[in-house]
Amino acid sequence: MNRVQTTKTFLWFILGLASAVGITRFIFGLGATTNLSDATPWGLWIGFDVLSGVSLAAGGFVITALFYVMRREEFHPFVKPAVLTAFLGYVAVVVGLLFDLGLPWNIWHMIIFWNPHSPLFEVGWCVMLYTTVLLLEFSPVPLEEFSRYARIRNFLMKFRFPLILLGIMLSTLHQSSLGSLFLIMPFKLHPLWYSNILPIHFFVSAIALGFMMVIFESLVSHWLYLKDSETDRIARLAKIAVWVLGVYFVLRIGDIALSGELGLIFSGSWEAGLFITEMLVSTILPVIIFSIPKLRYNHRWQWVGSIMVVFGMVFNRINVGGLTMIRATGDIYLPSWMEIVVSMGVVSGAVLVFMFAIEKFHIWEERPRHPEAYPFAPAAFDRASGAWLGSPLMAAGTRYSLAFVFSFAIGFALIPDTKIHSEGAETIPVVRARGGDTLFVDGNFNNYGVTFKHLLHTEITKNEQGCATCHHMNIPLDKNSGCWECHKKMFTPTDIFNHDWHSSAAGAAIPCRVCHPAGQQRRMETAKKCDACHLDLFVQNSPVKADGYMAVAYTDAMHTLCVPCHVKKATELADKPDLGLCPACHNINPPQERLELLKYGRTERSLKPVILPPQKSSN
Amino acid sequence: MSVAILTDITKCIGCLECVAACKKENNLKMDVPREWQKMDGLSAQNWTSILSLPDNHYVRKQCRHCIDPACASACPVGALHKTVEGVVIYDNDKCLGCRYCMMACPYGIPRYDWDQNVPYIRKCIMCYQRLTEGRQPACTEACPKQATIFGDREELLRLAHQRIKEQPDLYINKVWGEHEIGGTSVLYISDIDLGFLAYQPDLGPQALSRTTAPAMNAVPFAFVGMGAVMYGINWVIRRRMNIGKDGNKEGTHE
Repeated sequence: MNRVQTTKTFLWFILGLASAVGITRFIFGLGATTNLSDATPWGLWIGFDVLSGVSLAAGGFVITALFYVMRREEFHPFVKPAVLTAFLGYVAVVVGLLFDLGLPWNIWHMIIFWNPHSPLFEVGWCVMLYTTVLLLEFSPVPLEEFSRYARIRNFLMKFRFPLILLGIMLSTLHQSSLGSLFLIMPFKLHPLWYSNILPIHFFVSAIALGFMMVIFESLVSHWLYLKDSETDRIARLAKIAVWVLGVYFVLRIGDIALSGELGLIFSGSWEAGLFITEMLVSTILPVIIFSIPKLRYNHRWQWVGSIMVVFGMVFNRINVGGLTMIRATGDIYLPSWMEIVVSMGVVSGAVLVFMFAIEKFHIWEERPRHPEAYPFAPAAFDRASGAWLGSPLMAAGTRYSLAFVFSFAIGFALIPDTKIHSEGAETIPVVRARGGDTLFVDGNFNNYGVTFKHLLHTEITKNEQGCATCHHMNIPLDKNSGCWECHKKMFTPTDIFNHDWHSSAAGAAIPCRVCHPAGQQRRMETAKKCDACHLDLFVQNSPVKADGYMAVAYTDAMHTLCVPCHVKKATELADKPDLGLCPACHNINPPQERLELLKYGRTERSLKPVILPPQKSSN
Repeated sequence: MSVAILTDITKCIGCLECVAACKKENNLKMDVPREWQKMDGLSAQNWTSILSLPDNHYVRKQCRHCIDPACASACPVGALHKTVEGVVIYDNDKCLGCRYCMMACPYGIPRYDWDQNVPYIRKCIMCYQRLTEGRQPACTEACPKQATIFGDREELLRLAHQRIKEQPDLYINKVWGEHEIGGTSVLYISDIDLGFLAYQPDLGPQALSRTTAPAMNAVPFAFVGMGAVMYGINWVIRRRMNIGKDGNKEGTHE
């Protein structure tokens, strides 16, 4: 395998994983696949796919401006690949966005429902228009292959300059408006990133990143297709990029200095560390590298410098997109592996299409020889042995398909069942009530339980149904089962019928017909009820009627049992009017140390919610 | 008339009647703790909640129905909007699920149906269906202690200031929601500081939609300006090149 084939196999592998996760995301929703939460509604898919994706695709408008507007003819070889990268980048952004949107089939709503106050509305429109413009800018290249479309191609070529001008204008708007998105969050975004000229930061950094992406992409093509390297041309481009990066640096630091927050950089906080790292990687070090002519003309340093800017600027977008909001939201978000895989898959898809286009269309001066047969393709038929070796092209295709199918299956196998089927509910096992005459009922053991005077309640209910008032069911061979023996989980129902045990030879070994009548479908609904065999399962005279095979959640069981009676008593007893209200049983005052939790954010999962789950209306 | 809710923290006994009434009125399901929820009790199935603070302080949390709401300003399709009554309501059919409103809200109120594959934004809509029928919201109707009351915003503000004036020792001299971020339609008076309800204790008087307004107003100018600058540069460069070409021609004239 050569480099191209290895890369393509890898990309198809990622794409397979991403497809499996993508399908899961649309079937089960965002909660089942992502780690997004109410405190962090925007995660990796916005921070990387959209914010970074759009900036990474800035090369298109930067190079067209340089070549068509500034007439820098020496950059001609960069133009077609840059426009293609930009087009694929924008398509990738839209595809990534479809995964992130809750209702992606409504994405066209932006066309008819207008809210011109919203920066996102503006971004949406510009991305739509610019993707169309990029398609029109690029389509002469594939149309060149088909002589019958020559008329369309000529028509498009006639309007090339206005299209390119429109593309630059649209890019200016949405590259900056992505920054405007965050102007509305002054309380969340850290002051080192928040600024009134955030749109300008975004625009200038996008231009710098555009240059670097063109350089990066040229270097990657050189590595991948063993193409002649364009060291001199890259160096000339880098020289311009240094100026842009310099402007960006002055803007960022000057802006912070003007608002008098320069001290924050050296405050030693976590955000300060992020800021210093970001500025070093994205701006300061690359400027140093590309300012020194010796390094600028060095192939290796070109790699280092461009990768630094690319990573640094993506880091900047992620910082703005949520990483520096952690202090305000109190919610630590780490993307789930499924989010990462989908992001990687979208990029992989774009790269595969890019490689396809490079191989099929006239994008470079010299088209790469067919990489599947490159560099030393074996003959399909080996004359010496008489063996049929198979076409190398087919062999490569088989390998890619295998990688895709294999990873698609792996993806489905890896998706965690618990996350998908629990609907995000926490399964908390119930801790049995402790005590004697007075029980402390606290199912999830968080000290917010109820002090239940058992003795008092036996006396109160003496004249009514006695114990049967509450104890409605005994598990077989038991005389007074406690609540927790069936209601085993705090907030989720428990299945209390063990079918396997009843039917299996190792268990009760009861034949099917005992419970399932002959001639009927064997279903839960048609089966014999439990108390047909377990005669003393249900307590006689108990007002609580349990039916079905599912025991309701512990909280539900407790509240539906206690509250109606308490409410009734509250009206009867003149001296206890508050008997029907929550504080009658619950001591809602939380200990001091849990107060911090009240403010914001979910914290560690072991810490249970402080707020009591509200109940259905008691009357 | 602009409607509002005034919640008096000193009167609330934390009975959760408002929460129960809200659930009943809006047909909300039983809630269980989910890993994506915040600890404040609000969720897609809980549009209002009671925060229990020490010394029997109970703070009801709900959508603040800002006068100039950040969420409505942020929504790209206008699915959230402020009605003439002063309520911020949500339109299921317009929403595309970008969750920008959740990012924009300074109080962190809107919640999402994370467990659904057709998810919507969920938050208090001040029982808009009841308001149109001329009734008050379910929560204020259910409150047994008149701790949270419904009425005209101006009148409630007057009432709030009157209460503070009558018992200056009890209350902190501030009506939460009167001025901050352009004012909200859900007001609080309290004997404890309520700064924790927002992402920052002091939000300032400027409405959040004003932060994006300068950038959005500059959009047409940036668009036309960039086009003009680019065309101008191109025109100059083309002219120079033509002159250069002519000069060459003259120079190399046979």
